[in-house]
Amino acid sequence: MTAAPDGAPQEHPSWLWRNPDPKPSYDVVIIGAGGHGLATAYYLAAEHGITNVAVVERGWLAGGNMARNTTIIRSNYLWDASAGIYEHSLKLWEGLAEALDYDILFSQRGVLNLAHTLQDVREGIRRVNANRLNGIDAEWLDPQQVADVCPIVDISPDTRYPVLGATYQPRGGIAKHDHVAWAFARAADAMGVDLVQNCEVTGIDVDRGRVAGLRTSRGPITAGKVALCAAGHSSVLAGMAGLRLPIQSHPLQALVSELLEPVHPCVVMSNAVHVYVSQAHKGELVMGAGVDAYISYAQRGSVHTIERQMSAALELFPIFARAHVLRTWAGIVDVSPDASPILGLTPVEHLYINCGWGTGGFKATPGAGSVYAHTIASDAPHPLNAPFSLERFTTGALVDEHGAAAVAH
Amino acid sequence: MTAVSARTGMTLRLEPQPGEVIDRNRPLEFTWNGQRFPAYHGDTIVSALAACGERIFSRSFKYHRPRGLLSASFLDPGCTVQVGDEPNVRGAHRRVEPGMVVSAQNVWPSLRYDVKSVNQVVGRFLTAGFYYKTFIKPQRLWPAYERVLRRFSSGGVVAKDSAHGYYDKRYAHPDVVVAGGGPAGMAAAVAAAEAGAAVLLVEEEYELGGHLRWGDAGQLEALRELRAAVAAAPGVEVMTNSVVNGRYDGNWLGIVQRNLPHVVERLVKARAKTLVVAPGLIERPYVFEGNDLPGVMLSTGVRRLVNLHAVKPGQRAVVLSANPEGDAAIDDLARAGVEVAKVVDGRRGPTIQRATGSRGVQAVECADGTVVDCDLLVTAVGWTAPTALLNMAGDRPVYSERAARFLPSLLPDDVLVAGGIAGDGPLEQLTEHARAVGREAAGRAAETARSLCAGIPQIAERRAGPPDPEPAVALPELPVEDHPALFFSGTRGFVDFSEDVTAKDLIAAAEEGYDSIELVKRYTTVTMGPSQGKLETVNAVAVLAAATGRTIAETGTTVWRPPYAPITLGALAGRIFEPVRHSPMQPWHEAAGATPLVAGAWIRPDSYGDPAGEVRAVRSGVGIIDVTPLGKFDLRGPDVPELLNQLYVNKWSRLDVGSVRYGVMCAEDGVVLDDGVTGRLAEDRYILTATSSGAATVQEWIESWLQTERPDWRIHVTPVTTAYASINVAGPRSRELLGRLVEDVDLANEAFPYMRVRVGRIAGVDGCFMWRIGFTGELSYELHVPASHGLRVWEALLERGADLGVRPFGVEAQRILRLEKGHFIVGQDTDGLTQAYGAGLGWAVKLDKPDFAGRTELVWQSRRDDYFRLVGLQPVDGSVVPPEASQIVLGRGIAGRITSSRMSPTLGRSICLGFVAPSLTGPGTQVTVRLPDGGEVAATVMPQHAHFDPEGTRQRG
Repeated sequence: MTAAPDGAPQEHPSWLWRNPDPKPSYDVVIIGAGGHGLATAYYLAAEHGITNVAVVERGWLAGGNMARNTTIIRSNYLWDASAGIYEHSLKLWEGLAEALDYDILFSQRGVLNLAHTLQDVREGIRRVNANRLNGIDAEWLDPQQVADVCPIVDISPDTRYPVLGATYQPRGGIAKHDHVAWAFARAADAMGVDLVQNCEVTGIDVDRGRVAGLRTSRGPITAGKVALCAAGHSSVLAGMAGLRLPIQSHPLQALVSELLEPVHPCVVMSNAVHVYVSQAHKGELVMGAGVDAYISYAQRGSVHTIERQMSAALELFPIFARAHVLRTWAGIVDVSPDASPILGLTPVEHLYINCGWGTGGFKATPGAGSVYAHTIASDAPHPLNAPFSLERFTTGALVDEHGAAAVAH
Repeated sequence: MTAVSARTGMTLRLEPQPGEVIDRNRPLEFTWNGQRFPAYHGDTIVSALAACGERIFSRSFKYHRPRGLLSASFLDPGCTVQVGDEPNVRGAHRRVEPGMVVSAQNVWPSLRYDVKSVNQVVGRFLTAGFYYKTFIKPQRLWPAYERVLRRFSSGGVVAKDSAHGYYDKRYAHPDVVVAGGGPAGMAAAVAAAEAGAAVLLVEEEYELGGHLRWGDAGQLEALRELRAAVAAAPGVEVMTNSVVNGRYDGNWLGIVQRNLPHVVERLVKARAKTLVVAPGLIERPYVFEGNDLPGVMLSTGVRRLVNLHAVKPGQRAVVLSANPEGDAAIDDLARAGVEVAKVVDGRRGPTIQRATGSRGVQAVECADGTVVDCDLLVTAVGWTAPTALLNMAGDRPVYSERAARFLPSLLPDDVLVAGGIAGDGPLEQLTEHARAVGREAAGRAAETARSLCAGIPQIAERRAGPPDPEPAVALPELPVEDHPALFFSGTRGFVDFSEDVTAKDLIAAAEEGYDSIELVKRYTTVTMGPSQGKLETVNAVAVLAAATGRTIAETGTTVWRPPYAPITLGALAGRIFEPVRHSPMQPWHEAAGATPLVAGAWIRPDSYGDPAGEVRAVRSGVGIIDVTPLGKFDLRGPDVPELLNQLYVNKWSRLDVGSVRYGVMCAEDGVVLDDGVTGRLAEDRYILTATSSGAATVQEWIESWLQTERPDWRIHVTPVTTAYASINVAGPRSRELLGRLVEDVDLANEAFPYMRVRVGRIAGVDGCFMWRIGFTGELSYELHVPASHGLRVWEALLERGADLGVRPFGVEAQRILRLEKGHFIVGQDTDGLTQAYGAGLGWAVKLDKPDFAGRTELVWQSRRDDYFRLVGLQPVDGSVVPPEASQIVLGRGIAGRITSSRMSPTLGRSICLGFVAPSLTGPGTQVTVRLPDGGEVAATVMPQHAHFDPEGTRQRG
């Protein structure tokens, strides 16, 4: 094999993280070593000096939704609260490789959200206008401008749902999901956080309204604070602490094609026809669908959902008809009633929750990690996640993103 | 490169072979990288090229190493080519056709010649772990890195002007699907069919037979008998060049069929009662230095090439054989005139060290130190069982030390295995076992059919599925023979050819801390290439196991995911995206030059060229609009009022026969879901209407209530949207016009007042109903006529109203009319957070009803006043129309938005509806509207939504 010549960038460090046994006690235990859990651990250590932390993981690091998403990053959400947290996240993305000293292949190639109906157009323009007032880069493109950004989109009026325009966020893009997880893991480990794999939580002990510790497949762990961060299985975990969450878990499917020469320069999303497409650095098309309608914890979906998604994709990109699907898979996403996350305190003292991201969790990874760490460290929500409290489902102060982001996050 | 002529090109073609699949009477020509090549019908692209002496068919993904034939099958990683506009074609599988234009992929800088500087120029990007490598200070390096990566992308090409292929879908309901048409699959299919089952036999290759096809005379004879048995068996449908791609819950199988004329691919969606998995075994490559050089081949690849395509694979060979199949390859080589320079017996200790050469094998260094010159190295070290379908069925195959491969562990009842995936044995034993499996599959299918029918009294007695099986007998067990555990030699070579992952990469990954096979897979991308691990998985696990000091069983495998083999996006998409809906009056609209509007599934007239004129016609005389897309539901039964009370926020208990009422529907979160009128036509018959775009949602919502919440309600719902053509006749002269057409209804205001419904005959058409409502704010009648007479009534209205100045109007005019009147549109003037009170619908919400959808949230909202509200707005400068979706700002924050805006032809000024913050709702309040160009205009909040005739006198007249 070719050796790196002198002067080449330094190779990968000789180790990434330890593989420790769990200690009997921690200040904070985070349940779930996905992107959010690892990011939370990192920011707890890096920004709050809390390092007596364990991240316990049922399987292997970042093997859940972090390994299964389509890696789209953007922040052009409609409501002020959503725009705030996602833009916070996007700003962190922009400096993340530097901060973590790890190449996450973050590529700001721009994200198009296509409009196919007058209703889409109105919603899109409204969102662009709102984004600009919130300081987020957003543009409204007419069909020809869409073709200028992405020449392979079929903008002819003959398609079943013609492209009438698109919102465009040039700062949006993609990153390499595994790298992001490994980068956070390595940095957190280096600051003393224990990443404990193959450690399934079997119970959460609550003593007089306050969390006391965990029971796990690798023994009991006492914990000053416990932070739930387990995406599709949030309801199961919260149930161990006696909490019932307003969450439904659905399969969400995605697929990749075989390798193609570079042909698709940006990210294209279309809520109306339930599809989103990008081309990864290596050359494969990465596509996602809407959630499967039924509720499930099984990480597999229905073929008809994929069929519908492909017919929509080919309507927009007829040139992909002969490309081959290499692999399909499903993750389990937890969906809240208003399609916005739940991130904050719970009725159990010192038990915190981060869930309900639906299909949009990946792009929020650094942002959610940083405000969740703040929430845990100060036992109070950060202003950016205050609107995403669990109580909003009893007070009614919802942050409904269905209109702007129901399907394709 | 020398030009190859069609006459003398096939220099490596052998004399006719007993089992060859080429037709020497049908020569053809095709092009490869722009040059003409000869071939025979039956050749694969690569066998034809190999017959002409070509040895390099691609460059590898990462290191751009030359790659040639390995397995001579669909899985061959080095034989992926571009055929015309079709990327990533499996060149060792796809049959060559006359005039085919084939080119190499990933050829930068060129297919045949190394450019020495390539690796030096980009060496920093090519270190082990290349693709996922970490760099210090990556921000600085990233742009260069991305450029290089892009240049190294190595896929096929899709072009924007690609011809659209024809793709197809089919549903199938066979009793038994047999995946794999080798000897075991054929035997199982025949046995199942003879037991009465309808069988679908699916084979990846172009013909049935599996490894028998390249066997000796006895095996060829056995093949002939098996093929004859399949042909003779009743009820076996054979699909060749097709593959079972995925197994889902309930034995729902996705099958890709490629053997149809004029169809690129067809997706067959089969619900099998029993699945028999009989894919045979895949020969495993051996890991050693130089194992990817052109000229290093698997024994099955050599045997396919010699016996099926009559191509001489080399001149001088070294053979590493550890099994009888490898020994048979030695005989084949001898028969093909290849000098077998050395045979290394892998069953007897050390094997080979490395292969050397530049653009192909030139020598092999054996473990005993001898170096043998050769241009062909054949390995036969063992087998991989393709357990993907079993994995998808929930099975977790277990590693057998003895068999040196994974075997099934715990299969669901509706999945059986036959052939090499199940165990070992001579042909007779394997086919005998397969026959027993086939009979059992038929029996289980019959059992399933019976249990499916048991709950259905009408057909429980009828026979469905195959007849009763013979009394159950235990399935025979197949033995597992001793196979040598040969995975890698003392040197490090390629584990994954298509991803360019070496044993060294895997060992490095383990040392860096990626000790789980799943992490190693993601870090190195091993097994993530086009063959999805079918060649590589066991070797990868074996290398990682050795590196981490564990056994193969402890290390485990990664999860196999669908599809088993690549499927085109086209086949998944099929032919039709979504149907288009038209009203019966569409031909008239088109003839009249209407501008079409895509409104969900419907195409309808946006205008007839002059929306303002159309508005004036309605305000001053009479206009007609086609509102057929309006959702319409015929509700019958005594409990309809209960349903209406549940669905709508207002009350329905006292809706008299002959009356209609406007209703507002909210979701459970109190958000406005839909609105529309419902009329009571008879004692137990109601017609409910929904918005055009909301009709489908409303239907699901109704069914959800009836099917899951209140199945006890006695209600029958029939969607009748397209059963009626709907026409709104609006304007001060609408009564006069209708009076000329309606025969048996008294249209006088006292006899047929506002918000009433009447049934009658219009323009000679019976079975019509009409109601007096007023979306436009004018006196108006909405006519619903049987769809087949829609055009007739439409034309009659225009003809009989000509002297009244009747004009057709489109959706745009209707939008202006309703905006003048201040009527909101659900979804345009409301959004996902608009609860009923915010939309100004508090008057309709009856919280004293015990329950209705959304009540809990609306009770909450009724006690607060912090929500944005829908208001009428007029720009201070009446000549400015702020675009819809403009934001209303207060200081630096968002304080509302314009939801609808138009220039009003009636008022001669701009008018709007919009949402504003609670502090801005007072009539007369001036708000600031931010225009898209950054400018601002002032607008005044009006006392009510209606800009025109707020008292509503016109519509009641």
